[in-house]
Amino acid sequence: MNRVMARPVLYILFLLPALSLYIIFMGIPIVESFYYAFFQWDGVTESTFVGLDNFKELFADEVFYKSFANNLYFIAFSTLITLPFVIVISLLLSKIKKMMDFYRTGVFLPTILSTAVVGVIWLFIYHPEVGLLNNLFRSVGLDAFAQNWLSDPKWAMLGVLVANAWQWNGFYIVLILTAILNVPKEINESAEIDGANGWQKLWYITLPLIRPILVVVMLLSVAGSMKALDIVIVMTNGNPFQTTEVMATYMFTKAFREYQYGYGSAVAVVIFLITLIFTWIIQLLAKKGEDYEY
Amino acid sequence: MNTNPVVNQKQKSETGAFPLTNPIAWLTRKNALPHLALIAYLLVTLYPLVWLAISSFKTQREITVDPWGLPSALHWENYAEAWKAAKVSTYFFNSFYISVLTCLVILAVGSLAAFAISRMRFPRASTAVYQLFLLGLVVPGGVLLIPLYRLIQQMHLIDNHLSLILINATFALPVTIFILVAFMKSIPRELEEAAIIDGLGAAGLFFKIILPVTMPALVTVFILNFINTWNEFIMAMLMLSKESLRTLPVGMSVFKDAFQTNYSLLAAAIMFSVVPVTIVYFFLQRKIIEGVTAGSVKG
Repeated sequence: MNRVMARPVLYILFLLPALSLYIIFMGIPIVESFYYAFFQWDGVTESTFVGLDNFKELFADEVFYKSFANNLYFIAFSTLITLPFVIVISLLLSKIKKMMDFYRTGVFLPTILSTAVVGVIWLFIYHPEVGLLNNLFRSVGLDAFAQNWLSDPKWAMLGVLVANAWQWNGFYIVLILTAILNVPKEINESAEIDGANGWQKLWYITLPLIRPILVVVMLLSVAGSMKALDIVIVMTNGNPFQTTEVMATYMFTKAFREYQYGYGSAVAVVIFLITLIFTWIIQLLAKKGEDYEY
Repeated sequence: MNTNPVVNQKQKSETGAFPLTNPIAWLTRKNALPHLALIAYLLVTLYPLVWLAISSFKTQREITVDPWGLPSALHWENYAEAWKAAKVSTYFFNSFYISVLTCLVILAVGSLAAFAISRMRFPRASTAVYQLFLLGLVVPGGVLLIPLYRLIQQMHLIDNHLSLILINATFALPVTIFILVAFMKSIPRELEEAAIIDGLGAAGLFFKIILPVTMPALVTVFILNFINTWNEFIMAMLMLSKESLRTLPVGMSVFKDAFQTNYSLLAAAIMFSVVPVTIVYFFLQRKIIEGVTAGSVKG
């Protein structure tokens, strides 16, 4: 009986399409990214091996540091400001019984829109003359606040971050809400019998029990912040004065606008490595805190 | 009956009978505060879309002069113009058929691989292959833009939708295999053994037994990948230069540059990319939410 399911030819045949796609369009490109990073190459003429020169140049490149700092700003905003906010909304949602589906459906909607469309929507919202935001300030008499948000170095990055949060908050809320609702009722009930108040239940029961999903959300938002590209390209393309440049847009500009494929690849390699390091650190911290449950 | 009036009043306010004597207790009892906060948040989230929808029916002048008001008349001509100027029909069709084909490739390729990994008797090879696919979950797609662009150039697939189908399908494989393997592993062995006794081979087992049983997971995978492909932007921008081949997200980003100052047209064009998705979403919301979050819950 086992023989039917143990025929090597069939096994290989079944795996072959997936593996070939995977190797051609992911495996080899990963290796090539690392390889190109050691070359100077404009995509047309012969490439020349330059060793670590691209990386040396990179670590002396002010714009690169600027873009890295913006990625850190991205991470800080999504973990320190967005995440606590999203947890609070999820906790509120878990408290109510009526209309939960209604709220969940509503807050999740932006998540299914294309990032490019989200970018265009927010360009409209931030528009200096007809934008929703400036109209809002003007109609409550705060005309002085109305300004050209995305052209102002002070505000542009924050503008992009808010648009990004608008798109993804609902996604994280649904993840966290599901985890909260999965906390067994008996645990909360027995805590109540022991005299725990609402805050104690939150602090000693709910939060520790949804820890695994909070770690997942952290990982997703840090990885998302590191590879942020679409939203920036559509909204500001790194402007003004590279105040919204992130590593991925810098890579994109170097490779596809300035045709420095080698240098662009070096940026890509750095993005890849930093993302790995960050996710590794988060997982390490998560494991260290308490026993990991899955 | 009750000799102690203080206790009596306290009990009543706790049951919510006297909101005026203890409004705070009443508020918490009815969950009014969470509801207020949630409605406020929902309004802030959705109002921009409502405002755009209203703007899309206004004239240029109405948008500038009366930003909060309703349109004097429903200016459908904005939609007609945007449909033509933004070439929405072409882009819409491109996005649609690319997404459908990509999903079919993913389902075919992914389910075959998931079947081999989860059901066939090569435990060691399967573990290795499975781990290999899971590694793909941590690869940020944008990092591979340069080698992928080169590869597509060499394959002469620039300005060919096949490039997007192959690349999108590949990047969807890790999460697809993750979901399908988890599902297929849960199918009881007895089902498989009965089918084999009935004379089915591995291929017959796959098509006649496992695939139909896996249908719920296949639907989840289809929805998740359809939305991702439909929304994909950067690859489509890079791999397609011909206007007639563009997808909707790329079309939108180009349109916003070309029609920066024509606000009513821009609003109508945005509606073209938001409304169809929203309608489908309201009909299939449970399935869609489940699909989009599927890969993350156990990640």
